Amino acid sequence: MLIIGLIGAAGLGFLYVRFFIQRRTPIRYAVSSVAAVGGASVTPFAMGQCGFAPETTGVDRLLAYGLMAVGAAVALVIVRSFFDRRDGLSNESDAFAGEIRSGGYRMGWWVPWVLLAPTLAILVVFLYTPAIQTFTLSTRLTRLGAPRSVDVCFRNFSELLVAEPWRLVAYPLIAIGLVYGARFWLSRTSPGTWSRRGADLATIAAALSVFIALYAMFSPGGGGNVDFRAVYLTTVIISVGVVVVGMTLGLAVAYLAYRSLRGGSAYRTLLIWPYAISPAVAGVLFFMIFDPTAGIFTHAMESWFGIDVPNYRESTLLAQTAIILASSWKILGYNILFYLAGFQSVSLDQVEAAVIDGASPWQRFVKVVWPGLSPITFFLLVTNLTYAFFEIYATIDFMTKGAPAGDTSVAIYEIIRIGVNNGDLGRGAAQSVLLFIAVIGITLWQFRTSGRRVTYGGA
Amino acid sequence: MKHRLLILLTILAMVAAACGDDSSTETTAAGDQPATTQAPDTATTAAPATTAGGGGEAINIDFWVAFSDEARLGFSEEKAAAFNAKHPEYNVEVTSFASYNDAFDAAVLAVDSGEPPEIIHFFEAATRQALDAVDASGNPIFKSVTDAIGGRTDILGEPVVLDDVVDAARNYYTVDGSFYSMPWNTSTTVMFNNMDILNAAGITEPPATWGEVEAACEAIAALPDGPSACITWPNHSWFVEQSLGQQGELLGNNDNGRSDRATEVYLTSDGMLNYVNWWKGLSDSGYYTYTGLQRDWDGTSNAYLAEEVAMLIYSSSDTTFFDTNASFTNQASFMPYNENVDYVGNLIGGATLWMLDGMDAAQEDGALAFLNFFSNPENAAEWHQITGYIPITKTAEAQLVADGWYEESPNSKVASDQLAAAENTPASLGALLGNFVGIRDIITGAIEDILVNDVDVTERLTQANEEANRSLSEYEQLFGG
Repeated sequence: MLIIGLIGAAGLGFLYVRFFIQRRTPIRYAVSSVAAVGGASVTPFAMGQCGFAPETTGVDRLLAYGLMAVGAAVALVIVRSFFDRRDGLSNESDAFAGEIRSGGYRMGWWVPWVLLAPTLAILVVFLYTPAIQTFTLSTRLTRLGAPRSVDVCFRNFSELLVAEPWRLVAYPLIAIGLVYGARFWLSRTSPGTWSRRGADLATIAAALSVFIALYAMFSPGGGGNVDFRAVYLTTVIISVGVVVVGMTLGLAVAYLAYRSLRGGSAYRTLLIWPYAISPAVAGVLFFMIFDPTAGIFTHAMESWFGIDVPNYRESTLLAQTAIILASSWKILGYNILFYLAGFQSVSLDQVEAAVIDGASPWQRFVKVVWPGLSPITFFLLVTNLTYAFFEIYATIDFMTKGAPAGDTSVAIYEIIRIGVNNGDLGRGAAQSVLLFIAVIGITLWQFRTSGRRVTYGGA
Repeated sequence: MKHRLLILLTILAMVAAACGDDSSTETTAAGDQPATTQAPDTATTAAPATTAGGGGEAINIDFWVAFSDEARLGFSEEKAAAFNAKHPEYNVEVTSFASYNDAFDAAVLAVDSGEPPEIIHFFEAATRQALDAVDASGNPIFKSVTDAIGGRTDILGEPVVLDDVVDAARNYYTVDGSFYSMPWNTSTTVMFNNMDILNAAGITEPPATWGEVEAACEAIAALPDGPSACITWPNHSWFVEQSLGQQGELLGNNDNGRSDRATEVYLTSDGMLNYVNWWKGLSDSGYYTYTGLQRDWDGTSNAYLAEEVAMLIYSSSDTTFFDTNASFTNQASFMPYNENVDYVGNLIGGATLWMLDGMDAAQEDGALAFLNFFSNPENAAEWHQITGYIPITKTAEAQLVADGWYEESPNSKVASDQLAAAENTPASLGALLGNFVGIRDIITGAIEDILVNDVDVTERLTQANEEANRSLSEYEQLFGG
């Protein structure tokens, strides 16, 4: 079975040269095929070929092939950069390196490495080693203080996914097809036409289909397995909520605070304070406000208006709203800070020109200020999303502990619940690997899409 | 250049955030015992090292305590300081942890890195886990205190109190005929009653059975200015286990894991279904109020003190706290039981002190002397009085009777009486299970789903049963014989 995979990888290497490399020679076909086979064989051999054991079936086998494909792809990308350099298709960084070489930096090849060594050492010890250990842990069944551990191969992953392999192949292909279809349609239309509006809608639908495809690929639970679809959905709702609410409010408050007002600098400073508060304290604060027994808000509503506020932890909608509010409030100061800085970089000439042209304040904001803010918005999008993924654990732990019935248990909360509190290190590691892949995927996608539309002014 | 800088900033921020997420895990609030104070204080507090009389350094004994509140951590520090004053050749140093799990995980890691504590505080449900834990070379981490004492009646002048431990704790913690750890904080579940409300509703005695609770709630709901709900208790698996003990049902096979390792759990037994259905019924009729959080000791106790409920089923560990803080007539009573099934018995809860293996003779004797000093009759009685945990030795109990403490504070006697009323059967002793912490989590998760989402009780418990059994069998795969 492994052989089939390796033959496939060789074929992949061949096809890659055929379609992506301009100068094609027999040697290049050979080099590329060998590299693809080499890349593909890294994971099966590192994992003791467990993915190809006779008892492995279904999703586990698919994951084994999937990892081989990833290994081959990485090898091919490296090979391509090598070919490109040979062909003189140098890119920006090569030009930059040439600039350094031609300048005053004529020293031994080892000098940069020595200078980099301290940074690399820190990265290796604190980042790469733990990351590799996480990958190793994710293939095992193990607990702290246990006399032995069991190699479970891909089981920790496959139980988070649907049981039928064809779904795992078909759903992403459909979603990718829709995305490219919408993009194709968009490229054939011109602004202002009905067709463009249709294409815009199709683009949104295609983006949604990616979320839906992922939802359908995760396990619906049952048979002792965790309902990972619920975890995914909760994570998406809360992360999107935090990003949208936090950034919108941040922009709005920053826009108001940016106007020149008496004592403006004092309260601009005050606005940034929530950022200095830890997520745990944010959780406690909002807990104290909304708690059904001891809460200030609930007490006020009851004694002033006679409204009996329901327990937010017993309703999915209220619990998720409360978490989004608390988390976005905590990041609000940060967003305000960056948007305030962003406003200062918006070209006043352009705003003035717009005023002279008779643009309304709203038009000035939408057509001039907002595009000028795009680099900041892009930066905040990434940082806010990372915050929503990794740093709201403490807020959730204080406000809901995942209640009601797991409806506020986002991925990071689930990882700590399973891996730390329940001591199931393997499953916790597997879920954190998934989160890691998700963050990489989202970041790459952001750099590809938003990055393209971002205006960085003059540079 | 601006472009490049921003991308760099973005990446830096991401890396920082990804690295930073570890720090947030330290705030695990998995409190398995109620904390009577709201302010968590996880700072390391060292008992003052008293001047070592004679020559030589005092031998250090690290004592890790999983309490962080003033009353209970303060007691530990005070007793450590008293021991150090009495035995200047030793220096017992108290370190506080936020939860039992934090202390345990830290201890296992410390063993492998060569800097372990000498004594750690660990809870009853994790007894199996502590017995099973081994270091990197496969040796058990903890040493049996019975073996270490080796039949001595006093150590460094401190009388051995292990033989004097009350039966309920003795029976729970004796595994293979020996005490592995030294019992400390031990409690059981009791009900606290707001007698002002109950009397107003025409009820003169605290309800003793499930049926009486329902009747009382009906009467209270009819009060014109009554509380918004009638009863509450934390959604903690301990209450489920108590109810199984009362009904004589086992949670695990092999006599609740006491005649041999448990390899199966029963979450769909009749006793389990009875209890959860009763609970859900109370909740559906608005008598039981759920705070919406699992293991919510603070929320439930606040609801009782704020008179939002008339009855609270809780740990006896906070008896003194309620006696002091209730602005109404607070009366403790036995945990209500199912009147349709013969009552078998309630079990204990709490934690013991575990001694790590690998000390030299002098240090080990110091640790043993401290453990026996810590629970000597005076200290055990004081501990009972400031908290409500039962007096852990018979002598301490007799002394409290002689001092007239129970006449002065009748609520404090309820826990000991309830434990004395229990039969000594595997069901009422409680289960020893592998991965009990995880299984408890599965139980409370299922109950939350049942209370909040109106799902079918039997169906949901069947699903929980499947999860719990998988979890246990995986644990046995790693630790079992």
